[in-house]
Amino acid sequence: MTKYIIRRLLWGIPVLFFVILVVFILVRFLPGGPFDFAGEKQLPPAVVKNLEAKYHLNDPLWKQFVDYLWGVVRGDLGPSFRYRNRTVNDVIAEGLPVSAQLGMLAMLIAIGIGIPLGIIAALRHNTIVDYLATFFAIVGVSIPAIVMGPLLIWIFALKLQWFPVSRWGAQPPYFLGFLPKPDLTFWRHAILPAFTLGTGLSASIARLTRASLLQVIREDYIRTARAKGLAERMVIFRHALKNSMIPVVTILGPMFAAVLTGTFVVEQIFAIPGLGKHFVTSIGNRDYPIIMGTTLLYGVAIVIANLLVDIVYAWLDPRIRFD
Amino acid sequence: MLSKKWALLLAAVIVTSLILAACAPATPQVVEKVVKETVVVEKEKTVVVEKEVVVTPTPKPEEELITLNWNFGTEPPTLDPALAEDTTSVDVIENLFLGLTAFDPEGNVTGELATEWTTNEAGDVYTFKMRQDAKWVKYNPGTKQVEEVGPVTAHDVVYGIKRTLDPRTASGYAYVLYIIKGGEALNTADTEALSEEELQALVDAVGVRAVDDYTVEITLEHPAGYFPGIAGMWVARPMPKDAIEAHGERWIEPGFIVTNGPYMLAEWAHEDHLTLLKNPLYYDADNVQIERIYGVMVVEASTAMAMYENNELDTTAPPLEDMDRIKADPVLSKELHIGPYPCTYYYGFTTDKPPVDNKLVRRALSAAIDRKSLVENVLKGGQLPANTFTTIGMFGSAAQDPDIAPWALDYTLGLQKAKEWMAEAGYPDGKGFPEIILMHNTSEGHKKIAEAIAAMWKEALGISVKIENQEWKVYLNTISKTTPVEQMPHVWRLGWCADYPDANNWLNEVFHPDKRNDIRWNNREFAELVDKAEVSQDPEERKALYKQAEKILVEEEAAIAPIYYYTTVNLTKPWLQRNYFGLGGQDFFNWKIDWEAKKAALGK
Repeated sequence: MTKYIIRRLLWGIPVLFFVILVVFILVRFLPGGPFDFAGEKQLPPAVVKNLEAKYHLNDPLWKQFVDYLWGVVRGDLGPSFRYRNRTVNDVIAEGLPVSAQLGMLAMLIAIGIGIPLGIIAALRHNTIVDYLATFFAIVGVSIPAIVMGPLLIWIFALKLQWFPVSRWGAQPPYFLGFLPKPDLTFWRHAILPAFTLGTGLSASIARLTRASLLQVIREDYIRTARAKGLAERMVIFRHALKNSMIPVVTILGPMFAAVLTGTFVVEQIFAIPGLGKHFVTSIGNRDYPIIMGTTLLYGVAIVIANLLVDIVYAWLDPRIRFD
Repeated sequence: MLSKKWALLLAAVIVTSLILAACAPATPQVVEKVVKETVVVEKEKTVVVEKEVVVTPTPKPEEELITLNWNFGTEPPTLDPALAEDTTSVDVIENLFLGLTAFDPEGNVTGELATEWTTNEAGDVYTFKMRQDAKWVKYNPGTKQVEEVGPVTAHDVVYGIKRTLDPRTASGYAYVLYIIKGGEALNTADTEALSEEELQALVDAVGVRAVDDYTVEITLEHPAGYFPGIAGMWVARPMPKDAIEAHGERWIEPGFIVTNGPYMLAEWAHEDHLTLLKNPLYYDADNVQIERIYGVMVVEASTAMAMYENNELDTTAPPLEDMDRIKADPVLSKELHIGPYPCTYYYGFTTDKPPVDNKLVRRALSAAIDRKSLVENVLKGGQLPANTFTTIGMFGSAAQDPDIAPWALDYTLGLQKAKEWMAEAGYPDGKGFPEIILMHNTSEGHKKIAEAIAAMWKEALGISVKIENQEWKVYLNTISKTTPVEQMPHVWRLGWCADYPDANNWLNEVFHPDKRNDIRWNNREFAELVDKAEVSQDPEERKALYKQAEKILVEEEAAIAPIYYYTTVNLTKPWLQRNYFGLGGQDFFNWKIDWEAKKAALGK
């Protein structure tokens, strides 16, 4: 098992190298450089030259790439072109814990609502309970965060005044680098954005859980288990549920990686200082090091999340072996 | 069996957590380090310099200070006066650093650090006498104490200007100071080809010197009556050499930063909020009423609007979609303020691309825009229809002067003229007119405007227009003068905002055929007029020259179609008394809060 984990992590290195290479080439093919304009004002060529010289953008491309890789190996992701007093490491160090806090809460909500809802819908197949659960799931999928967020703000912050309108309630230092102090301020700020993000995700999880469980409970071995006289609860929880979770876990991996590393819309609506906006705005700003840094971080998260998914597979299905 | 699997799973989770933790060094460590290092540096300074250090503790706890709740809208990319390019950074810099000059709320140039200034007879040497009671201060966020670092002198101004112009600083806005003798030569020098001595010689040759500790002399490349406006711009402000050399680009972080303005930087939680505290050592501190600025960085206008309605912000720019509701609301409508903002929205024509290479066609297109209807029905923010490029309030602006393109202000006349010109150009009722491309950068607002104008052209002139949009940076490259003409759209949008309130910053910088000139024309008559106006020392003559130039640009040649002058639309709580003029940053130090009224409204 340990050998497997190490092997998979080592396999991640060429994957991440490929990610860096592709993104490096792609961003440089984007029309427009990082320093052509200040707002709508075109900068004179001499000024652009000074800026490019400062950030070594006048070096040959291969040298820029090698320098970047060497920086990555040393754990230095370079300076931000837009935020002149900050490095990419600073931006990630400040934004990632906040995004991770929001992402983890949202995932807990998503799983906490999605899986039970899916199970209930499957077990009460074609009853009013199923229809209701499916209806809520479809509503959840259909209402995007950009609608859900302001709606929750309007109801729970402006009208009922239960929660603050926006912003994040945790400040560094964080426990273990990312765990916030779970005080009232944190929870009051976290609930609305976490629900906005979590309910949308829970809907997908619920639909997948329902479909998967429905398929599994029609399998022969479930019929056999029932025929043996096992209690229905035992049949479902011991035999059906575990196996039906495999497709659900498959989507949970990338979903987890995505929400952990920041979600643009929810962070924007609630003014949360996470990493999400950098994924989007850094491209508009042509802030190459931030684009590279955030993509690399996402790549690392995906590699790890997929590894976790595979480990959970083995637990869910004993037929899957690593060695 | 099961417990072994659980153990494996747990192990995997722990390993992952460790890797993730390794990927993300914790923020607090950075912040704590900043504070810690600051304390050490201060101790060193006290001992080494052996000068008297005035330490003033903040008298009241922060929550009791008269506080303005403000939205910066975004993270300021920098607080370094030499590096700032955007309005958010300039808003903060305006309150942290003093300039030789400043703009009053009406946009007139007044003295700030400079008590008076004189020019030589030729008009190319400016001498600024400086006040002697301005001080550099440093605020320690750890101990909450203020340290007096020293007086602000002419040497700091010289250092600041030379630092901005030094190519190694890589200032994006350095070109504004090319008017200073030797400025362009230094800023465009090839640092790799020159030796350290050669570069230093260029630095020394820049036309700025300290005559004595409180007198600065600035020599210009040529006479420029508008220079006092530039002298107060952020890139020309005095800068603290010791702090910059000690901390590099991080010198603007709390604890490191040394400032001289009405406020000090107390806290900067990146991407979240920034706190400014009143500087007790500011020379005019008695007249600064607001003691604390708590500025959040909320990007989403609808979120900021909700915060305003929840009394979490004292003022905000409302989202366009809320304008109808605000105007109908008895409370909000009273809190709505619409004021001028020194920017112009315009459509540029690619003057070498048929059919808009014909000035009659361009005139017809410009005249067929119903600007009043556009402003009232699409924009709804009280913008003013524009008949010139240079906006209201700038020296040399002929805005709203009926001598220039009167048809832009009167649609009935415009419609009639447009039809005539179109027929004269050979396209009566649009017959035979090819489809033209109107391009804008991707944005809901620009799209609405483009659709409205295309519909106006279709109705008035019978022509068909294809609207295209591109992502911002792609767009800016597409419309630049180096793009092959076949790839250029016929018509495209842009805006321009003032750096300093003079028509030179508008007509000369943007449309001089030898400068930016995205409209790709080579109108020497226009060039001669703006060249002459730039160096003229007679204000009346300058005004007349700019008016002539403007007439050529927007009427005779109609190389651009000015559309509207921007406004600043704000909701402001009744307890806040503020000003709205947008040039040179927000001057919080001039604002007032009725603190008792605000506390009562917040239920405190």
